[in-house]
Amino acid sequence: MRGRDPALRVTVLLLWGLLALFVLYPLLSLLGRVATDGGRLSLGSAFAILADPHQLRAFGNSLLLATLVGLAGTALGFLFALTASRAGLGRGWLGVLDAVTLLPLISPPFTTAIAMIFSFGPRGLITYQLLGIKGVSVYGLTTTFFSETVTYFPIAYLTLRPVLAAIDANVEDMALSLGATRAQVFRTVTVPLAIPGLANAFLLLFAASLADFATPLILAGNAFPVLPTQAYLQITGLFDLRGGAVLSFALLVPAFGVYLLQRYWVSRRYYVTVSGKAGARTSVKTVAPWLRPVLVGACLAVAAVIAYFYALLLYASAVVALGANHAWTWRHYHVIFTEGARAIRDTLIIAGLSMPLGGAYGVLVGYLVARKRFPGRAAMEVVSMLNYALPGTIVGIAYLIAFNDPPIALTGGALIIVACYVFRYSPTGIRATVAQLQQIDPSLEEASLGLGASSATTFYRVTLPLVVPAFFAGLGVVFIRSMTAISATIFLVSINWTLITVRILENMTELSLGPAAAFSVLVVAIVYVVIALIGRVLRTFSAPGSASLGSVLGG
Amino acid sequence: MVRVEGLSKRFRHRVKGDLWAVREVSLAVAPGEFLTLLGPSGCGKTTTLRMIAGFESPDAGRVWIGDRDVTALMANQRDIGFVFQSYALFPHLTVFDNVAYGLRIRGVDRAETARRVGEVLALVGLSRYEAQQPHQLSGGEQQRVALARAIVIRPRVLLFDEPLSNLDAKLRVQMREEIRRLQKELSITAVYVTHDQEEAMAVSDRIAVMSQGVVVQEGRAEDLYHRPASAFVAQFIGRVNFLRGRVVERGAGGALVEVAGARLRVAGDVGPRAGEAARVAIRPEAVGIAPDGPGAAGEVSGRVVARTFLGEKVDYQVRAGDEVLLVTCPDQGPGALLGEGQAVRLRLPPDRVALLPATE
Repeated sequence: MRGRDPALRVTVLLLWGLLALFVLYPLLSLLGRVATDGGRLSLGSAFAILADPHQLRAFGNSLLLATLVGLAGTALGFLFALTASRAGLGRGWLGVLDAVTLLPLISPPFTTAIAMIFSFGPRGLITYQLLGIKGVSVYGLTTTFFSETVTYFPIAYLTLRPVLAAIDANVEDMALSLGATRAQVFRTVTVPLAIPGLANAFLLLFAASLADFATPLILAGNAFPVLPTQAYLQITGLFDLRGGAVLSFALLVPAFGVYLLQRYWVSRRYYVTVSGKAGARTSVKTVAPWLRPVLVGACLAVAAVIAYFYALLLYASAVVALGANHAWTWRHYHVIFTEGARAIRDTLIIAGLSMPLGGAYGVLVGYLVARKRFPGRAAMEVVSMLNYALPGTIVGIAYLIAFNDPPIALTGGALIIVACYVFRYSPTGIRATVAQLQQIDPSLEEASLGLGASSATTFYRVTLPLVVPAFFAGLGVVFIRSMTAISATIFLVSINWTLITVRILENMTELSLGPAAAFSVLVVAIVYVVIALIGRVLRTFSAPGSASLGSVLGG
Repeated sequence: MVRVEGLSKRFRHRVKGDLWAVREVSLAVAPGEFLTLLGPSGCGKTTTLRMIAGFESPDAGRVWIGDRDVTALMANQRDIGFVFQSYALFPHLTVFDNVAYGLRIRGVDRAETARRVGEVLALVGLSRYEAQQPHQLSGGEQQRVALARAIVIRPRVLLFDEPLSNLDAKLRVQMREEIRRLQKELSITAVYVTHDQEEAMAVSDRIAVMSQGVVVQEGRAEDLYHRPASAFVAQFIGRVNFLRGRVVERGAGGALVEVAGARLRVAGDVGPRAGEAARVAIRPEAVGIAPDGPGAAGEVSGRVVARTFLGEKVDYQVRAGDEVLLVTCPDQGPGALLGEGQAVRLRLPPDRVALLPATE
């Protein structure tokens, strides 16, 4: 078969070309810029930048913040997952939990940060208006930590819920029958079995917080510098591209550590508990009756906080000036649809281009990796995941360095932003496709080949229809991220092409909070409508066990 | 030792609405006795077992273990050992820790725990497996660990939920003998659930056949086999021929029945009355078969329509009137097979025939 399939060969070569151009080349350019100074190899000067006490402190702060967010977010995610899987909630209540956790996932990552400013800022609704406290600073570790936890804990929820649901109910029943109390079952069976999931959730949150650049930019303030913001300020404020590159590169160390732990520790420790028919679901729940309202109450409290944040955003977008003049007005929406129309148009064009490209790319790579044998297959899988695994700041700066000058000058155009989104956010689609294909017997495709169809025809006529759900899930994720992401693309916007998220940040720094709120509401509304549409499409196509949009948002 | 009375459980079905999974089931298991709940899937046998264990709470009825009413107690207070079809081994614990789990929960000290775990692992033949992880074991070994874990706590009753269904045929036979041996050796009261009639007959002192949520017949394996109370039981346990007929005459301790052009005497005084349509059930191996010759009373003439040679025995399909009977007999040696199309006479011994109503 190998080598007799020209379509496969051309496709593989084409993909490698794209991966080389948009993944490997930028990274190597970044590496080159970090390792050289004025054309000579010089690691010393790179270390000198890092050894600066201020930057060292930023590095330490980043690790501290990421650890705290990882711990708190995992705890919160576990609470939600436990409630969803064990408290015997009806579909309605589960819907509430899912809806509330979906909001932070589909919003720009700094949405909560904005709501924090509205609540606790200098003219904050709670500190100033309600409590009358003046001169309190909203900036620093506490608020950044709180805001990032609220933003990222849904990832832990989405990671842990299937882990808890997958624990064979018989195993918990077994412990009960051996005389263990509910608390003992929880401590000796449920928690130990969830530990790989907990570790994974922690690492995901750790990485998300480490890479988050917008929340600290808004909330951390001068007293609490973190690495991604320092890198950004180095480049945009001091025009020191190399300094920024070195700082962002320092993020690689913990990010790579997280990657190694996930790949070589967590993934090997997932327990397979089901060996036979999945047992009848027990009706005597392992959560004690008195504990149920406690769990539900705690979840609803968190849900209320999130609901309050988003309601506040909506309110702030519709009044003249939150904290000063609460008269209703359409003014902010008028502003974003006139002055901000360019950003809206650009964002929609870029998201509209990235979405089908990213969806198709994800399915293609996923299909090749899962089903085809060709030289460099394993390498392709790893390389295709790189931009996704790296902190956005690194990817953004790498693109900036790689595509700023000839031979390949792309900065200032839309293409560079589209490429960034496609190669950074399609891996979700790749993984969904691989997962989907692993559930489909290869003999289906072999039957098509056996009937004389070419490998291209087989892909088009047999495989593609089967992976449609993964295609739409991948496409949905690319769209959501294209509408909401900022950490990489803030380095890539230009006078010609800008993005809503960048405009929101600018509004925040200029203290025009109304338009920032209006923009945020608009983004959430657009994303919500689009994913509702995609969700409908997914339901039409989805086979049992196929990817759902919600479940792939987590990673 | 174990007693359930009027046990009932309703389930909500997606399409059919409220259904009785188990309806007014009453059973009693004597100390040291091995009772099997046998029935097709969905008959309520597993639900009954889970209610005895305390994993499900009944909508009505009571459960006693020993002389204690445990209906309101949770599974962890009932002092039971449970063996799941999926084994339900704790995947994060070694074989030793799996077996030791129940002892540690009971606060048994370290030395005693080690001694008892070692003892019970020796009993199931897994002495050197203490440090293994469950996923390193074969299906049969996992099942032994599950068994060891259930008996090490010396429960008052041992409950099995289709424990052998995930094993291959050979291992199944070996394991069921082992389960029976252990249960007798330790003289533990046991309730066992299976859909496999052969397994049920091999391990049990007594079998309760369930269908659609109720116990339809209860008794020793040979009673169920020879005196099925209904066509369902006759069909579910072993192979059976049903013949349509009519009761001609009813007397003390028997009846005269007209079947396939012959008149048969049938033992027993239950079933349809004189003049009523009836069904006659007879096991394939109970039918006598011989080449056509001078007939005797109570014999039926027929013709072989198909033959399956199985080595130690032969299956014949014989058409008699408008009925087709399955007849099985031990192989008689070279050259003794009856040919297809051959005319034969069938003998239906009265004491091997069960009389059942025409419809149920």
